Amino acid sequence: MSVLAGDLREAMTSSAMIAVKNLDFYYGQHKALHGITMDFPKRKVTGMIGPSGCGKSTLLRVLNRMYDLYPGQRATGEVMFDGRNIVAPGMDMNRLRARVGMVFQKPTPFPMSIYDNIAFGVKLHEKLSRAEMDARVEDVLHRVALWSEVKDRLKSSATALSGGQQQRLCIARTIATRPEVVLLDEPTSALDPVSTARIEELLDELKKEFTIAIVTHNMQQAARCADQVAFFYLGELVEIDSTDRMFTAPREKRTQDYITGRFG
Amino acid sequence: MDVTSGPAGSPTTHNARSDAGARRGLDGDAVFRVLVTGAGVTVLALLGAIILVMLFGGVQAFSTFGPAFLVSNVWNPVSNHYGALAPVFGTLVTSVIGLLIAVPLAFGAAFWLTQLAPARVSAVIGMAVQLLAAVPSIIFGMWGFFVVRPLMAHYVQPNLRHTIGHVPVLGALVQGAPFGTGLMTGGIILAVMVMPFVTAVMRDVFSSIPPVLKESAFGLGATRWEVMRQVILPWSRRAVVGAVVLGMGRAMGETMAVTFVIGNANRIGWSLFAPGNTIASLIALEFPESAAGSLKLSSLMALGAILMALSFLALCASRLMLGVSSRQARR
Repeated sequence: MSVLAGDLREAMTSSAMIAVKNLDFYYGQHKALHGITMDFPKRKVTGMIGPSGCGKSTLLRVLNRMYDLYPGQRATGEVMFDGRNIVAPGMDMNRLRARVGMVFQKPTPFPMSIYDNIAFGVKLHEKLSRAEMDARVEDVLHRVALWSEVKDRLKSSATALSGGQQQRLCIARTIATRPEVVLLDEPTSALDPVSTARIEELLDELKKEFTIAIVTHNMQQAARCADQVAFFYLGELVEIDSTDRMFTAPREKRTQDYITGRFG
Repeated sequence: MDVTSGPAGSPTTHNARSDAGARRGLDGDAVFRVLVTGAGVTVLALLGAIILVMLFGGVQAFSTFGPAFLVSNVWNPVSNHYGALAPVFGTLVTSVIGLLIAVPLAFGAAFWLTQLAPARVSAVIGMAVQLLAAVPSIIFGMWGFFVVRPLMAHYVQPNLRHTIGHVPVLGALVQGAPFGTGLMTGGIILAVMVMPFVTAVMRDVFSSIPPVLKESAFGLGATRWEVMRQVILPWSRRAVVGAVVLGMGRAMGETMAVTFVIGNANRIGWSLFAPGNTIASLIALEFPESAAGSLKLSSLMALGAILMALSFLALCASRLMLGVSSRQARR
């Protein structure tokens, strides 16, 4: 009985939040992604690994259409999110990016106070009273475990924080707009091991509420944080599977070689 | 410096370097240091010398008229009585008009060039902006005299007088005979001259913002305007204010182009369309007619000193403003 209920819950929660189908991506003439098809299951962490230039970050930037800022970059195929193909014309980009948040490789606090860094994104989409905004700021800072460190200096500049604190602030800023998906592009590659560990702990908390896609060069990180892992090579999706199977019994030789450090 | 790249067998890099110096008979480092120090000191000495010349030259005027020199608007070579107020007024009013027109235009142009325009268009227009900044001021003067002045005389001022001429406060600004020359025309010419410069600086600043910072803001769902307003502008505030102040400095000191269209009348009034004067154009016009050692020449030197002081004040004000705001941002 309980097993059945568990399976049912598993089946329901692992329904795809984002479904990518036959996605090609071009930087001008150069084709950077070749026919990618994969799902990002709801409230799961999808790890994306592969050598530099394999297209994993490119795929991430398709999911919130960040590539749109640059001329000459285009995507063809299908990326279904909430019943709509987001790479088709006519998407409301600002709304999409509020629902699909992104955290970058380097911490990128805005040149304003800690409080305003978080309020910035919220104000773009919601009209909150002063008290509601205070509550929202406090809530997200609690959730990234930053509240106790900054509660006395919310009005001071965010650029004075340490790198790890800045990155947690950037995550807080991203989840403050209540997105459904959070994209992380090598979020710990510029951080020390202690800060990295804290961010990884944070991911475990966040996946209870958000669908997460994380690009990482760190195999241990992928193994620790992800529920499923996708391996990219030269713009192709070589293999995607649950983290356990991926790291213990990969089907492809290229995957095996990469995760054991034979190339890359 | 790593040892392997030094001469073979030299025990330490330090010895290797002093050997090389001894061979040449002279330490290149020391020579270089003297040269660059000299260059730095020369700049300082030049600045000091210019200030001293202006002040010493102006002593006669300052001691004859006292503080009244600053608040008198008389400029009468016949009675040998001079005051600085009218040209100072004209300088400030034309500069402010120039900036009021130029800064919004420059901002819009820089915003469009860096954020919206296709890369190829942006490159071409960016080049055009820089060429515009390099046009000699005398060209702007002729253009102002032959194109802008008739337009102002035949269309702008008459129409303004018809429409807002009877509104209480605004009406006073457009009174007077339609000569076409005057503070407004001077201000417009200054705007055209200052705008390319301010645009070029703003464009450089806006395009130097780290792409990740921009992407972060877009990533939260901000529009281009919101990104500009709330991220790029605060980030580049210091440089933008710097650009505006440099533009102000150029506007205040601009001579030939303004002399063509300012009207050269030593008066102060409400009307922006009445002829006026600026410090720089007054000096340019009267200098050749001033005898050495005369009170008039001294008065012109004193005006020069005031112009320098105004420029310094503008610079200090911007520094102060920037200092306060950046400290607020940091703490």
